[in-house]
Amino acid sequence: MKETKKWVLHRVSATILAPLYVWLYFSIVSLSIENYSEAVYFFKNPLFGILTIMVFFVGFFHVKISLSEIFEDYIHNKKIKDAANILALILCIIIPVIILILLIYKI
Amino acid sequence: MSDSKNPLSPHLQIYRWHISSLVSITHRISGVINLLALILIFFWLLILSFGENNYELFLLVVNSFFGKFILIGFTWSMTFHVLSGVRHLVWDLGYGFEIKTAKISGIIVIISSLVLTILFWLFGRGLI
Repeated sequence: MKETKKWVLHRVSATILAPLYVWLYFSIVSLSIENYSEAVYFFKNPLFGILTIMVFFVGFFHVKISLSEIFEDYIHNKKIKDAANILALILCIIIPVIILILLIYKI
Repeated sequence: MSDSKNPLSPHLQIYRWHISSLVSITHRISGVINLLALILIFFWLLILSFGENNYELFLLVVNSFFGKFILIGFTWSMTFHVLSGVRHLVWDLGYGFEIKTAKISGIIVIISSLVLTILFWLFGRGLI
């Protein structure tokens, strides 16, 4: 990805993510005093399910760009930096995909 | 001419701390902490899918002293990163670069992140 495009997408994802992340975090804190069935009921709601999936996809997209920036600043060995970027990419794809599967089939 | 007044290369432990540098490095650190928070929420949902017994046990850990400490820490990290992120977006639009403005906006970010953390916790946990 070109650096300018990365810069723009980083800001765009941040703007979408900010309200979603605040919402999900508030929901999680609220659910911490509720029981199992309340939590299941919450995530079975289609709107809340879709918003949660969005937080994870947009969030880990934002994380991937941010981590590459951080690796660029602190890792000077190119091989290690490339390996770190590949690991980060795998993490940032696997977690949202598992969340998608969990929310559709398991909860 | 003496070299002693020449600037040193950037170094966190040598440069005097300013509001701008403090907020800048905290933005990065809170971003990494937010990644850990997202991973925790990932496990939260994973354990929820494991059924009632596992989830109730997980809630016991979350509501222990240690669990609350972590959740409050994550809450502060979230409010700080979002507020500081808004400050960055305003800069990207071309506003707020004057030293005085940047200093004031930095102080606003620090104070309101702490206030929001308290409010978030009180409302979220149904204490108000």
